[in-house]
Amino acid sequence: MNAPVQTVEARELALAGMGVSRLRKEDARFIQGKGNYVDDIKMPGMLHMDIVRSPIAHGRIIRINKEAALAMPGVHAVLTADDLKPLKLHWMPTLAGDVAAVLADEKVHFQMQEVAIVIADDRYIAADAVEAVEVEYEELPVVLDPYAALQPDAPVVRDDLAGKTEGAHGKRDHHNHIFTWDAGDKSAADAAFDRAEVTVSQHMYYPRVHPCPLETCGCVASFDPIKGDLTTFITSQAPHVVRTVVSMLSGIPESKVRIVSPDIGGGFGNKVGIYPGYVCAIVASIVLGRPVKWVEDRIENISSTAFARDYHMDGELAATSDGKITGLRVNVVADHGAFDACADPTKFPAGMFHIVSGSYDIPAAHASVKGVYTNKAPGGVAYRCSFRVTEAVYLIERMVDVLAQKLGMDKAEIRAKNFIRKEQFPYTSAFGFEYDSGDYQTALDKVLEAVDYKGLRAEQAAKRADPASPTLMGIGLVTFTEVVGAGPSKICDILGVGMFDSCEIRIHPTGSAIARMGTITQGQGHQTTYAQIIATELGIPSEVIQVEEGDTSTAPYGLGTYGSRSTPVAGAAIALAARKIHAKARKIAAHMLEVNENDLDWEVDRFKVKGDDSKYKTMADVAWQAYHQPPDGLEPGLEAVHYYDPPNFTFPFGIYLCVVDIDRSTGETKIRRFYALDDCGTRINPMIIEGQIHGGLTEGFAVAMGQQMPFDAQGNLLGNTLMDYFLPTFVETPHWETDHTVTPSPHHPLGAKGVAESPHVGSIPTFTSAMVDAFSHLGVTHLDMPHNAFRTWKALREHGAAL
Amino acid sequence: MEVKLDKQYPLDVDAARAWALLNDLKAVASCMPGAEITEQLSDTSYKGAVKVKVGPAVAQFGGTVDVVESVETERKMVLRGKGADKGGSSASMDLTAIITPDPANPAHCVLNGQAAVIVNGKFAQFGGRLMVQVSDMLLAQFVENFRQTALSMPSAQGTALASPEASLTAPSDSTSPAAPEKAAPAATRTAAPVVAKEINGVALVWALLKGWIGSLFGKRS
Repeated sequence: MNAPVQTVEARELALAGMGVSRLRKEDARFIQGKGNYVDDIKMPGMLHMDIVRSPIAHGRIIRINKEAALAMPGVHAVLTADDLKPLKLHWMPTLAGDVAAVLADEKVHFQMQEVAIVIADDRYIAADAVEAVEVEYEELPVVLDPYAALQPDAPVVRDDLAGKTEGAHGKRDHHNHIFTWDAGDKSAADAAFDRAEVTVSQHMYYPRVHPCPLETCGCVASFDPIKGDLTTFITSQAPHVVRTVVSMLSGIPESKVRIVSPDIGGGFGNKVGIYPGYVCAIVASIVLGRPVKWVEDRIENISSTAFARDYHMDGELAATSDGKITGLRVNVVADHGAFDACADPTKFPAGMFHIVSGSYDIPAAHASVKGVYTNKAPGGVAYRCSFRVTEAVYLIERMVDVLAQKLGMDKAEIRAKNFIRKEQFPYTSAFGFEYDSGDYQTALDKVLEAVDYKGLRAEQAAKRADPASPTLMGIGLVTFTEVVGAGPSKICDILGVGMFDSCEIRIHPTGSAIARMGTITQGQGHQTTYAQIIATELGIPSEVIQVEEGDTSTAPYGLGTYGSRSTPVAGAAIALAARKIHAKARKIAAHMLEVNENDLDWEVDRFKVKGDDSKYKTMADVAWQAYHQPPDGLEPGLEAVHYYDPPNFTFPFGIYLCVVDIDRSTGETKIRRFYALDDCGTRINPMIIEGQIHGGLTEGFAVAMGQQMPFDAQGNLLGNTLMDYFLPTFVETPHWETDHTVTPSPHHPLGAKGVAESPHVGSIPTFTSAMVDAFSHLGVTHLDMPHNAFRTWKALREHGAAL
Repeated sequence: MEVKLDKQYPLDVDAARAWALLNDLKAVASCMPGAEITEQLSDTSYKGAVKVKVGPAVAQFGGTVDVVESVETERKMVLRGKGADKGGSSASMDLTAIITPDPANPAHCVLNGQAAVIVNGKFAQFGGRLMVQVSDMLLAQFVENFRQTALSMPSAQGTALASPEASLTAPSDSTSPAAPEKAAPAATRTAAPVVAKEINGVALVWALLKGWIGSLFGKRS
């Protein structure tokens, strides 16, 4: 109590709690090259694995000859499906209720499928030995188009499912059919269309893309044959789930399996699944009794690990002639590749695609998604989005534009007319989602004013009137709502484990703290932001709060980081664990100050006796007391664990506007302006939010303007290097303008909604909206992505707009 | 990745000798840069290998070649080749070659080749955009070697009518890929292996670059 008197504001500032743009704690090690990634890990006696992969997309394996490879000095083992069979590990379950081959069993289903593994003294010997493994194939006809795959005489992708008419998600009616999933009310939607004054329909293809994180996937598996323990360092966004799966597959008790996700160089959904490489490295370590490292190269990453999207979508809107939407119908044919390995909550084979009614009050809606096998790599992950939300937002935002065009309405006006109004929240959509909160109109008005929307439209009209204008000008507008924070465990689970998340906080005797989490940061800055939540909740400076994640031996069980779930789910777990500690601290403080608990006020970092500012105990004082001499009847120590099962999803939203100028001679597109307003509820660290938005917008720009995975007729993937696959650098990336409103989530302890994926989800249809807008006066209603210069130039020529 | 080729090469060789050479599959193979027949499996089936070197990268395709059809009266030969490279590529080719005499000049003929080449794996992924150009280059080298070899064979009159100076397909400058050696004028062998043993990578890249620059100015090879 002899400390110099500080103002409340000064004490608050010293905490660096919520709302402060605190610098990222992670950056000190990353910018010095001191990160600790999987490939940095070296263990004594460690061997290296490389993978023999199929050069063809579909074929039978006639024979595999590994003699020459085994004869090479430094090669320890060559394993094929036949070697895994006795262990029953040649196939493994996928997150979507299907099975996937670990190593190709009798046939290969897609190009670059894993056929055999080689374990050697070093990476170079392993790579050489891969070439010495002789595999003879009998080629089979390939099927790459999901519509063709559903023809009666289409090649059979999955021989192993012959005669299986029941899949994980209901009836299969064709050998390449995986599931058909329906949401909404079909008869109500059909009735709305029967009564409609106006209807529009549009087919669109959301291309197959790849999240392409800078760090590829890999692991170091280390089985201790003496102790029977398995430790695996792995590039995983969900280490605890990996532990459960590894234990289930290997039969090793979960208590003897330790999974560690060290620093992760970006995930974006690519590191949610369990890949054959991980399983093989673990098996190899068990077989050989030595650590085994496997790190894939870029081509392997793009070719064989989880892709995203690949949705062929048909949308329809019914509306009144003055633009009020009365019905929505959506039909999707989803290309899932050779195995159904989507990473979705178990009961949702198309993820949260039924957020497809968007920000609009649509009384009747129905969506149907049909999953199909083809001879392509499996996947279907949420690439910086929450389980197919990107596809859904793309569809509804495109359809609203198409309707506006048909009615001759402005795209801002038609949106305003159909918004779920502020007073309608909580709002239950036709698909059954309960939207927590939103204020779309305020946000839209803010954006339109900021960019001078009317002025832009006038400029566009003038350009269109000038036949010599060297450019076409387009204005894109998107008013999206995302569903994130999966999710309530009564409806959301992964392999039967509810999608809660967890936090354990320990306050040390001297008042510093450690928090351990079930999530794992891959660039989101958890070590920075989580500490800020605790700082505000418990009055401990964030500088002395250590945040640890990713080690299943120390962290409480959690479902991991994807689908923007860290803040909505784990962030809430932190707040509630902190509040448990706060409640105990209050008891201790009351004891120390010899007053009743109810006579204490909490102020920033201390409990004060009501009406007497001089009598107080800081959290540090309380912590010491908790370990030194706790009150009678109270156990020593100051810590808590909380498992948070969210009551609902959160629904962040945004209003994005983009202006493009398309060169009529070359098809080159300049992004003149991109204005992104996000509302993610309570903002924990504005600087990190801005960084997340910049990153998401850049990835959205990449998808919309250039990313694609083209296949030739034989199933060769022609875009699996960074020479072909578009990753924008600062040279290509446009300037971003960001803005925000704050509409807290009423059900989240902090009011926070999650943000990292909104800019990706929202920006992609904004680019397309702008591109189509540039052509709309020529009667164009839709252009498929990617909007690269060549495709745009072809569109210019096709529609007579080329110079 | 599939490439379809349909080419006609006028040769200063009479049709009879060209057809005779076409029937000697081993000799034909040795006209293909980097290719050789390693084993005869039956009257119509052979084992072979093709080695392609581009810079430091070497691809070695091993496989089989089958004579699907050989029609003496039409001087038509249909071949099917299949092979794989250890580095993760595979290839197949259906080739129809027909020799037609030049009605204006009995000492000349035209070699017609139609081929469908399918390449899978790394070659298709990396090389996809170069496939047509590389195939053109390979064929041009092959035809020049074929011509040289045919000219060195005894003619119907029993003498070699070698005139290797006039090259139809390979430019005479020193940077051209794998400039063929001159055939021995006194050759009496059935097939003189006057061929480049593998594709020279630097020359290949240079020729591709030249072709590309040429194409920028509207020149089609």
